[in-house]
Formats: sequence, structure tokens, C-alpha cells
Amino acid sequence: MSKSDNFFVFLALITGAICYFTNGLTGIYSALDYSLNLIILILPTLAGGLLIGGLIQQFIDQDKINKALGEKSGLSGLLFATLAGVITPGGPFTSFPIVFALWVAGADIGALVAYIAAWSLIGIYRLVIWEIPMMGLDLSLIRFLVSIPLPLIAGISARWIVKNTPLKPQVKSNK
Amino acid sequence: MITGYILVWVFVFVLGFLVYSNKGVDGLKRSGKFAGHQAISISRKMPFALLTAAFIAQIAPVEDLAYIVGPDSGLLGIIISAILGGLLPGGPMTSFPIALIFFAGGAGAPQIVAFISGWSIFAVHRVLVFEAPTMGWRFVTIRLISCALLPILAGIFVDWLTFNVIILPQF
Repeated sequence: MSKSDNFFVFLALITGAICYFTNGLTGIYSALDYSLNLIILILPTLAGGLLIGGLIQQFIDQDKINKALGEKSGLSGLLFATLAGVITPGGPFTSFPIVFALWVAGADIGALVAYIAAWSLIGIYRLVIWEIPMMGLDLSLIRFLVSIPLPLIAGISARWIVKNTPLKPQVKSNK
Repeated sequence: MITGYILVWVFVFVLGFLVYSNKGVDGLKRSGKFAGHQAISISRKMPFALLTAAFIAQIAPVEDLAYIVGPDSGLLGIIISAILGGLLPGGPMTSFPIALIFFAGGAGAPQIVAFISGWSIFAVHRVLVFEAPTMGWRFVTIRLISCALLPILAGIFVDWLTFNVIILPQF
């Protein structure tokens, strides 16, 4: 996690340096001003969203999720994975550990791909904290609606690829 | 913006009540702890992520790009937006502000949706930092191939939706 902390500092330094060379100090000042305003704008929803994440976690029963996502779970497994992705709160630092755990526990690649697609495309958590406040209700809802069938398409494609091409996923044994 | 605020806090209170009635005060404490940990981790990244977005907005010829992917740019605009979105580094804190600049600069709704979807699915930074190390490159390859068309589909669906909304009243 500290690696990705540094990554952001690094990105800010690089882009800041380029900004200084192209736009000078005024560029830096207006970027600072913009960021500060945005932080103030986001903070109330961000705090609420983090609390929602913690509260939702109290209802997730991991054993049940693992059982429902196996290789022979069919379309209902993909639907279930999609639903789990939609309600998984937090950033990639919470979702990828879950994906890995599910994989080791026997979930198949179709379910995992559907889960990741659902989490990244129609996760309610991100929709509510980030997208609606920043992009407005109309555009966010249109995007949400058209994206609902997409995780299923991704999951079915992934199962097809594994079945019909030499590309096979391999579960890495524990580290 | 206000609707978003209200929605979030209504959610918080409803869920809080559900947790309290099912798991009692302990459940609430665990929720708070989880939220606190995330808040600390985010607070170390967010200021820099936001700054990066603001700097990129200063440097990048975003207005030109928004013109290229305007409402009339069609399928090509959707594909370009999806690729641009996928190349964008960082999480929602950097990408939504940039998408917003796109929107303000005149990009069409299908193109913005393709941009956000492209970033959601391909997010270079997330793949490098989280996905590849935990799941391995073979998994990443299969996932990326199976998801490759999704942002373009999303853009096309929005195009159909908005097309219908605009055209229907004229009949």
C-alpha cells in the first residue's frame, strides 16, 4: 500500500514539474486552488461513503459467496458474482484480495471476471461517492443503466475463451 | 450535487440502523473501524491524486480532445474515448475530475460514458499495482480480452438511448 502511496506522490511531482515548465507558477496555483475546492466538495460524500462501506461489510457472509461462484454455477453464478461486485465497497485494495480469496476457494474465471467488471462498472459505492457528486445524476444513471448487462457479457466471454482457446488461468499457490 | 449528499447520508442512516438492529453496537464499532482504516489510507493518496488530476488538466490539451470526441464523433469517438480512459492513471479521484473537464469541453454523452467505462475496465494503474501481482498476467490477459468490447458497447447503448430520447418527440 505504501508503494501506491509513493506512486501518487511521484505522479503529482512529475505532472507538477511538467505543469511548471509549460504554464509557470500560475499553472501551479490554479491547480492547487482547483484541488482544494474539489476536496471540500467531495469530503461530505466521501465520509458517508466510507461509513457505508463499513456497514455493508457487516452483512457479507464469505462462505456463502464462495459456494455460489464455482465452475458449474452457470448463469446464476455469473449473476451472483455481478451482484457481489455491485455491493463490494472500497477501492482495489479491498476488492482484489476478495477476488483472490474467491479464486483459491474455487470460484471460476467467468464469475471472477463478472465480479471485477461489476465492481468496476456498476459498483454502487463508487457511483454514490464519486460519480453522482462529480458527474451529476443524469449522466451517472444513464451510464449505470447501460452497464448493467456488461458484466454478464464479460463473464460469458471469459468462460468461452478458457474453453475454446489455449489460454488457461492458473491459480498461483499461496505466494 | 446536493442530491448526492442527501442520498449518501440517507444510505448511512438506513444501513446504520440495520446493522444496529442485527449486530448491535459491536457491529457499528466494526463498521466505524473499517471506515476509519480506509479513510487513513485514502487521505495519504487523495491530495496527491487530486493534484495530479489538476496538473494533467493544466498540461493536457483536454479541450482539443473534447472537441475530437464531441457528440458528432460517433463510433470512432467512442473508441478513442474508451482507449483514452483506459490509459488514464489513478482512481476515481483523478479520473472523474478529468471526465468532468471532458464533459465541460463539449464531449458527447456516449463518448464520456465510453471514457469512464474504459477507465473502469482497463485502468492501467490498477492492473499494474493490484491485479497483476495478485492474479497473475494470464488471468489479466483473459480478463482484458473478455472485457475489451464493453466500453464501446456502453457508448453505443447510450447513443441509442439518447438518440431515441431526441428523435421520438419529433414523430
